[in-house]
Amino acid sequence: MAMRRLLGLLLLAGGLALGAGAAQAHPHVWITATSELIYAPDGSITGVRHAWTFDDMFSTYALQGIETKTKGVYSREELAPLAQTNVESLKEFAFFTFAKADGKKEKFQEPVDYFLEYRDATLTLHFTLPLKTPVKPKQLVLDVFDPAFFIDFKLADKDPVRLVGAPAACQMKFQRPNDGTANAQKLGEQTFMSGDNSNYGAMFANKITVDCP
Amino acid sequence: MRPTRSDFARGLTIFLAAAVIILMLDGAVNVLMAQNPFGAPRPSAEPQVGGIVGWLLSKQSEFYREMSSTIRAAKSDGSAVWTLLAISFGYGVFHAAGPGHGKAVISSYLVANQETARRGIVLSFASALMQSLVAVVIVGICAWLLNATAKTMCGAEKAVEIASYALIAAFGARLVWTKGGGFMRALQVPQPAAVLAAAAHRHDHDHGHDHHHHHDHSHVHDQHCGHSHGPVPSELAGPGGWRRGFGAIFAVGVRPCSGAILVLVFALAQGLFWAGIAATFVMGLGTAITVATIAVIAVSAKDLARRLSAGREGGGTLVMRGVEFGAAGLVLLFGVGLLFGYIAAERVTCL
Repeated sequence: MAMRRLLGLLLLAGGLALGAGAAQAHPHVWITATSELIYAPDGSITGVRHAWTFDDMFSTYALQGIETKTKGVYSREELAPLAQTNVESLKEFAFFTFAKADGKKEKFQEPVDYFLEYRDATLTLHFTLPLKTPVKPKQLVLDVFDPAFFIDFKLADKDPVRLVGAPAACQMKFQRPNDGTANAQKLGEQTFMSGDNSNYGAMFANKITVDCP
Repeated sequence: MRPTRSDFARGLTIFLAAAVIILMLDGAVNVLMAQNPFGAPRPSAEPQVGGIVGWLLSKQSEFYREMSSTIRAAKSDGSAVWTLLAISFGYGVFHAAGPGHGKAVISSYLVANQETARRGIVLSFASALMQSLVAVVIVGICAWLLNATAKTMCGAEKAVEIASYALIAAFGARLVWTKGGGFMRALQVPQPAAVLAAAAHRHDHDHGHDHHHHHDHSHVHDQHCGHSHGPVPSELAGPGGWRRGFGAIFAVGVRPCSGAILVLVFALAQGLFWAGIAATFVMGLGTAITVATIAVIAVSAKDLARRLSAGREGGGTLVMRGVEFGAAGLVLLFGVGLLFGYIAAERVTCL
């Protein structure tokens, strides 16, 4: 019986250790985002338009090797191949955009109207994600985050979320992850100890909720 | 003697114990490192593990984010390079203390191979040095010489990454093959007689002498031989031993850290490539210190296990062979897991 107890203990300890061990590292890329929810005239939501500004270091990295007519000036056309690469790569990560209409997961189509803009030594990626099928839910929840937390998303301080053409009765609530440190510390007890770290970055999610009665 | 059910249970327990020891060590050191880095006071917030892991993460991010502004500052003020080096060192220490496969592979290898703590330290430093070198070479060739785009560079990084994981898996498979033989024989030999040497152990030895006689090295005897003693460390650290160690250095070190690549490209763009290179190597030094600490703890834990189990003739050998086999299996699991994406590793910067 002692053997069985030992076995049980070992399994438990192993589970815990694996839980902590497999957790992801820290972010390497920072994005300051603004997001717009786009509504059709009939009040249904057709898609999400993002503008993501990358941090200084990543912007420089991304611009490596890109030839321009004038040094240090990057036109939209010169950045077009890079924008193409960006949206193609982002597909693998579902564009870090997760929508739920009345609790049901919604899918997005391929991005449209994408381009990069270079200003103040940083790159901003603009793109629109149309929903597969427009929805008209009572409640829409939109999360923007990287589940692996390689990218740290922060919604802009000023006008982080806008509803474009939404019915007047719709109300938007926006919830940021708390201050990074406090939040990271809070996640420990729940996530690390339960061994479930598949969605570790959700702790850092920016949650947008729109209620339309 | 055929293994009975209890033998199987014991084998399973030993395997799990080995896996758990290494993973626990990994976790425990993460926690310890975070609790008291450089004697700084422990964060008062929450004493639980998670709070500390969280604090560790935020500390890393802090150091990392300061790098870009410090490199910019260094353009006009040369003394900022010193700040950059200090930040890089701190980042290296914290980065390695966080979750990562490198130190787990090195620790498992050390445990599987009866390595000394001294060799553990050397291996840790060598693999960190190699990691820094690879980062500098990739950015040096791709960005500096060829002026390739980030897309090309990320392709190169991805190829290196896959090669690295395949190497770890191959390395682990070889360890399992060698250690498995020793373990199976230890299992099948009737107690208390024991099989001492791993399958790979070769030596010239005269078998014509009296078998009840004590030798100062270990080897496979016939089953009438009831004595046991471990291999002398100097035997293992011979020239062949170092060649084996190189496999570990190479498998772990060939995968550069995404952070180092970003810092190097950024420094290059600022016209301060040399500062980026210096930062990368200092980062590697910090990493090496953390990994070496973990490696030494792993080796000490195994020594302790050996001493504890030494009291039991034969059984002790079985336990030790089991631990080694388990550690070898863990290296293989890491390699395969990383290769097929079951174990999440630091993502390559491809956006």
